[in-house]
Amino acid sequence: MEKLLKDKKAIAIFVLPAFLLFTFILFIPICQSIYYSFCDYDALTLPKFVGLKNYKNLLIDDVMKTSLKNSVFFLIYSCVTQLIMGLILAGLLTNIKAGRNFFKNVIYLPCVLSSAALGLLWMFIFSPKLGINQILAKYGMEGPLWLMDIKGFITLPMWVIAFVALWQYVGQSMMLYMAQISGISTSLYEASYIDGCSKLQSFRNITLPLIKPMVGTAMSLNAIGSLKFFDLIFNMTEGGPNHKTEVLATHLYTQGFKFFKYGYASAIGTVLLVLCLLMTFLINRAFRTDDM
Amino acid sequence: MNKIVKALIYIFLTFMAVIYLAPLFWVIMVSFKTNAEIFTDPFALPQSFFIDNYTFAWTAGQLGAAMANSLFVCVITLILSMILGSTVSFAIGRMKWKLSGLVLVYFMMGMMIPVHCVLIPLFTRFAKIGLSNNLWGVILPYLTFSLPTTIFIMTGFFKSLPNELLESACIDGCNIYQIFVLICMPLAKTGLFVTGLMTFVANWNELLLAMVFISDDTKKTLPVSLSKFVGPYNTNYSQMFAAIVIAIIPTIIVYCIFSNQIVDGLTAGAVKE
Repeated sequence: MEKLLKDKKAIAIFVLPAFLLFTFILFIPICQSIYYSFCDYDALTLPKFVGLKNYKNLLIDDVMKTSLKNSVFFLIYSCVTQLIMGLILAGLLTNIKAGRNFFKNVIYLPCVLSSAALGLLWMFIFSPKLGINQILAKYGMEGPLWLMDIKGFITLPMWVIAFVALWQYVGQSMMLYMAQISGISTSLYEASYIDGCSKLQSFRNITLPLIKPMVGTAMSLNAIGSLKFFDLIFNMTEGGPNHKTEVLATHLYTQGFKFFKYGYASAIGTVLLVLCLLMTFLINRAFRTDDM
Repeated sequence: MNKIVKALIYIFLTFMAVIYLAPLFWVIMVSFKTNAEIFTDPFALPQSFFIDNYTFAWTAGQLGAAMANSLFVCVITLILSMILGSTVSFAIGRMKWKLSGLVLVYFMMGMMIPVHCVLIPLFTRFAKIGLSNNLWGVILPYLTFSLPTTIFIMTGFFKSLPNELLESACIDGCNIYQIFVLICMPLAKTGLFVTGLMTFVANWNELLLAMVFISDDTKKTLPVSLSKFVGPYNTNYSQMFAAIVIAIIPTIIVYCIFSNQIVDGLTAGAVKE
């Protein structure tokens, strides 16, 4: 038995294909991308090392500032709102019996649908003359230009997109919290009721501490998901009006595949990568439980 | 529980369900209207079932071809990721070798890395070796990025199998490949099914990579082809809605049949840490 499980040849046959694929499609390209970020490189030239030039350009690029601001806004917004809404929904759903599966499945549904398609749908709902504004007009009100307003530090379109993203993805957090909450032994709650706890008190003192590790997991999924965010924005506003809803991913796409500035786009990609790793690290740090 | 509180909970949840279902019902309804009807009375039921939107989207909008492409890409990726993912997971979860922990970490790295960071190197490399504008150029990255989750969930699955099973198979004279194919794979069916569903759904919806790598209209996947229906020169909303419905109906059907397994997959990945 031991000999079988230590069979080197079998291990190599099992692991090597995936390992090589991973190395060629993920690991080497990541290293290349970081190298390109220090290069002058576009569709017509070969990469030429120029040091920090791309990063210096990033610092004076106004669109980059907007995208970084929007990405950070999006990151914070989705971490906070998904945590709150996810917990509320999970808390309510684990407390009811009738219809629990129905509500759960309905709220989770958009998570599996194409954000490209949903983006188009919401673009229409929030368009200037149709959708919501058509309803408002019926009652004599004039709705705002949901996806075209450019005023404010965080523009109205960003809030709209952030709302749609919450609508689409809150099901995921809810589902993770529900799984963790239903794993908590009911005897803990019974004991707390005997001691005179109310539902809310037991939620705060039993549920919350016990799902802390899951909050970390759900939050790092949210954080990476919101930094990667592309589909909804691309189909709702394409980064417009006037680059006001640009995020890191859309900026990278425009620079890399519309203007073919590969070096510059790689620098944006590196910023994105660093942010992703940093957020994962910070969240794991914050929600680490020592007894696990 | 207090009856009023319970009623409030149900009112709130019903409200949420309406927010979730209304847009989806509405898009299906509007997709049967003519464009003029959308502007005059968008919230009424369609006057007649106007099927032309669908025929237009399916043929002129090339969504039929796009769906075939999406299906091809997703099925191939699904099969390959199941094979590669489970062999690796078996080796990591069950076999004994020094580097197994390190290799697992190497694969898990993929969970934290956004696909955006490898787009440019892959794009330039694939252009040189003839993989750009080729569905296989999409399949390879999709496969790579679906491996981490597959391996994560499947490793847990293989680890949970009882030792005695493998031992008795060994005594009966099975070699390691037979143990894997004949004993462990049938037992891991649930896990495979769940990870397979998640892989399929994720790749079915992927937009960015497919958009960058495929420029030929006949090779585009479904999410990319949808963008043909928007743009400054296109105001034919009813056709756009038909296209949206075509894009989301397959996933809705899969979800209605397999929602429990999808949910299991999502939580299996996170809870077993």
